[in-house]
Amino acid sequence: MNPENSPPPAMIDLIKVSKVYPPNVQAISDVSLTIAKGEVVFLIGMSGAGKTTLLRLISRMEKPTKGMVDVAGMDVIKLSERDIHLLRRKVGMAHQDFKLLPERTVADNIAIALEVVYCPQSLIEKRIQELLEQLDLTKKYNTRAGELSRGEQQRVSIARAVANNPEIILADEPTGNLDAETTARVMALFEQLHRRGATLLIATHDRALFHDTPHRVIELRFGRILSQSKTEGSYDDLGELAPALEEIEP
Amino acid sequence: MRFWAVVIRHACRNMLLTWKSQGMTLFTVSLSVLIFSFFYLVYVNALHIGEQLGDDLRLVVYLDEAPPSPLQEEYRRKILKFDQVERIEFISREQAFKRFEHILGPGSDVLTGVPTDFLPASIEVYPVRTLDSLSRIKRFSDYLQTLPGVLKVQYGKEWIERFYAFIQLMRVITLLSGSLLIMTTTFMVAHTIRLTLFARQQELELLRLVGATNNYIRTPFLLEGALQGGIGACGGLGALLVLYNWISLQFAGPNAISLPAFAFFKWPVVVAIIGLSTLLCIAGSFSAIRRFLHL
Repeated sequence: MNPENSPPPAMIDLIKVSKVYPPNVQAISDVSLTIAKGEVVFLIGMSGAGKTTLLRLISRMEKPTKGMVDVAGMDVIKLSERDIHLLRRKVGMAHQDFKLLPERTVADNIAIALEVVYCPQSLIEKRIQELLEQLDLTKKYNTRAGELSRGEQQRVSIARAVANNPEIILADEPTGNLDAETTARVMALFEQLHRRGATLLIATHDRALFHDTPHRVIELRFGRILSQSKTEGSYDDLGELAPALEEIEP
Repeated sequence: MRFWAVVIRHACRNMLLTWKSQGMTLFTVSLSVLIFSFFYLVYVNALHIGEQLGDDLRLVVYLDEAPPSPLQEEYRRKILKFDQVERIEFISREQAFKRFEHILGPGSDVLTGVPTDFLPASIEVYPVRTLDSLSRIKRFSDYLQTLPGVLKVQYGKEWIERFYAFIQLMRVITLLSGSLLIMTTTFMVAHTIRLTLFARQQELELLRLVGATNNYIRTPFLLEGALQGGIGACGGLGALLVLYNWISLQFAGPNAISLPAFAFFKWPVVVAIIGLSTLLCIAGSFSAIRRFLHL
């Protein structure tokens, strides 16, 4: 078999994964999903569909109730608390609630992700400047994160997630508070990371992001994968499935 | 190397951010070390003084008759059976007379015509100069009194008993202040670290999310404890040194009462106190981390 024709290795592999929150809330049901190395995938669905839970399972913020989660060659379930940093250094996550330290400056908030990998101070400075420039936040370098608007906080959260060039980037509603121009900047940053080989999983409501995208789009509903576009296809290809989706909706 | 640079920076930054509680902890640790080391210094010097005074410490056992050589051996054997001694000297009546004459010096004329055997023969027992021998001296004296041919046993009863009581008191106070040191340093540091952990909960969670190792998160807190212990101990010992110098100055000069060989701690003791305080604070920090930092 010609290696050039062989499919890229799986970066994220979920097999029959379920997550039940107590007392009995089924967040994810029997989800099986494979995302190849360097692939960009949009995860869409209504609120409560299970997008955030899926991202939390991949980053091991949650453990699945059932099934297998394999990320960057690591069995996430078997990963001990002591070794969890090995996974987290490969996965950068932009959280929906930003998870910023409001009393620290923008630079400090981004630097955290670089300090934990013992990046030299000079490189930290350089990388922060670069990211702030790309996300139009240069003037906010020394501003405390708590003093920023939600849109700015969201961009700082994204900057921190991508700061140490992780292999996998999980973005939970990354453009939820952004205007069109800033959204374009964020997407350009993601595109740049994608070109460098990063695997991206973007959970979003924003139709403009995945409409006409050449990347795979997966729709979740009630914790199940309802549909997915073909790899390297357009989400509009799913158009024919739309009536079926409507039927499933309660 | 990078790890320690980052960890030290984190610990220092945190100490600066929480300078109020850090200041309180440092003050408490310093005060505890000062109290403990003050009493320990007095205790150590009292022991030293006790050793010096011990040069004059002897039990004089007056006998009704000068014992012949075989009996001297018997006495020696019985004395050694009770306790170890530094030396035993048998003083005949004539030797006692000569000593007395020597003591009187130019006034020894008064002894003219006095028989040279008017003073009783005696055994001089020099106990080993330790605190324990001081404490046993009363019992030793009682024992010697029971030996055959003994008229009387003499020793500096009063000062020895008072001195021994003083040493005992100092020992208790030193132990109590040592316990105070242990409790305050460990509890205060544990309390400060606990407050810091609660205040930085959000940051610690975030560190975990961005891939920090457990050591990366924990070590700054242990280092913080070590710094509190080390700096606090240096502060306490520094204050004691100032106090010691001030007291020394008060007792200096030709008309002042001189302090008999009252010395400050030697370097190994200073290092040991700083090390002990540092270890205790690390222990306090460690216990807080174990209880309140859930990674």
